[in-house]
Formats: sequence, structure tokens, C-alpha cells
Amino acid sequence: MNIIIQENSFSISKIISDLSKKDNVGAVVSFSGYVREFSKERQLKSMELEHYPGMTEKALADIVQSAKSHWDIQEATIVHRVGKLLPKDIIVGVIVSSKHRSNAFKACEFIIDFLKTDAPFWKKEISEEGEIWVAERQEDVVKKTSWNKLD
Amino acid sequence: MNLKLLFFASLRERFEFSQKEITLSKEVRTAEEFLLDMSKQSGGEWVNLFENKNMYKLAINQELSSWKDPIHEGDELAIFPPITGG
Repeated sequence: MNIIIQENSFSISKIISDLSKKDNVGAVVSFSGYVREFSKERQLKSMELEHYPGMTEKALADIVQSAKSHWDIQEATIVHRVGKLLPKDIIVGVIVSSKHRSNAFKACEFIIDFLKTDAPFWKKEISEEGEIWVAERQEDVVKKTSWNKLD
Repeated sequence: MNLKLLFFASLRERFEFSQKEITLSKEVRTAEEFLLDMSKQSGGEWVNLFENKNMYKLAINQELSSWKDPIHEGDELAIFPPITGG
């Protein structure tokens, strides 16, 4: 498991390539999230990402551990950026490897769904109209809850 | 009773601090009691936070928790708006 919180950008293709070279990997699935240029018709100038150092890493490690208890995966890497981001910038990458595709697909989706509601990050959008803290999306809560049937 | 209190995002801006060592004059048993004690002691934004506490999340010693969960001497209590990462 590799959990990285950083200000700098990163290459998702480099992580995919690194994971694919490990022993007996048959599948690598990745999710990458980006800053959109528009939010509720406001044109974004930038975004600020804040987090809770210490808890963030623990929460993400717990999420990966939980994914590993449900699916037979080999490696999971999460990279999440903090600080100032610009439209089109990459925000987050979740990369999962396994022998067979199904486990990697499901684990990757599970990890990003739980990251959205359980890993302490907060986004602030900065536009011409001013600054606004992003509100929780009900869809994210519903998406996470939909995994309850696994337990 | 001593606690380390942390605020994040909009709460950090509203209270104008990100972390503070808090000394309470009496023992409190839960996070909810802590908020009630602070709102009686300090008023202002604390009253607002207590009344609207269900709009916010908390973590005790870096674990997501609920307002009824117990807190103890020396705990780290973080209060923040719903998470919006990813």
C-alpha cells in the first residue's frame, strides 16, 4: 500500500507502469479525478484543498485495508493533492493491481467512493464571484452506502 | 480537563484558528457536552456551532466519531464540515 499526500502534480501513467511491472500482475485499474473549469456555472479560477494531516493517511490506509479484506488485490496506490490547484489539474489518483480484472475494478471503485466521504479533505472553489467551500454531494453519500451490502 | 481542539475548512475560518489547547473548568463526558460547555463559557460562534452541530462532523483522536462519543483528558478533538475530497 502506498499513500501519498502532496502539493505537486504527478503522473498517473508512471504509477500504472510501475505497478504493472510487479510480479504476477494481470490487471491494473486506475481512477483519476481532475479540477473542472465550471462549478454550478461559475468559472473557476482556482481551487484550494485542505486536509487533516495524520488522520488523512490513517483514514486512507483503513479504506485500502477494508478493500483488501473484500477483494484479492495486490497493490493499491493513492495519491491526493493538497494546496492550490488550477482547472484541469489532477486532484487524485487511485491505482489498484490484481491478478484478474474484476477484483481491481471493484476495489478501485470502493476506494474512491470511501475516500469521498471518509478521508478528511475539503475543497474551496475560487471564482470571480468569490470563494466558496464545496458542499457535500448527496450522491457521494448514497454511493458509499451502496457498499453496505458487502458486510 | 485539557483537550487539543482542531478546526478545519469553514470552521477554521469562522473561529480564526486551526488548533488550540483548551482547558475546561469541569470534566465533560462527550463531545456534545464539550460543545455545550464552550457555548456557555464563550457564547458567540460556539452557540451557533452547538445549535447546528448535526451539520458538522468530528473526529476523536483522528477517528470519525459521533457527538455522543466519550472524550477523555488529553484527547485530540477535530470538528469540521462534511468531507469533500477526491
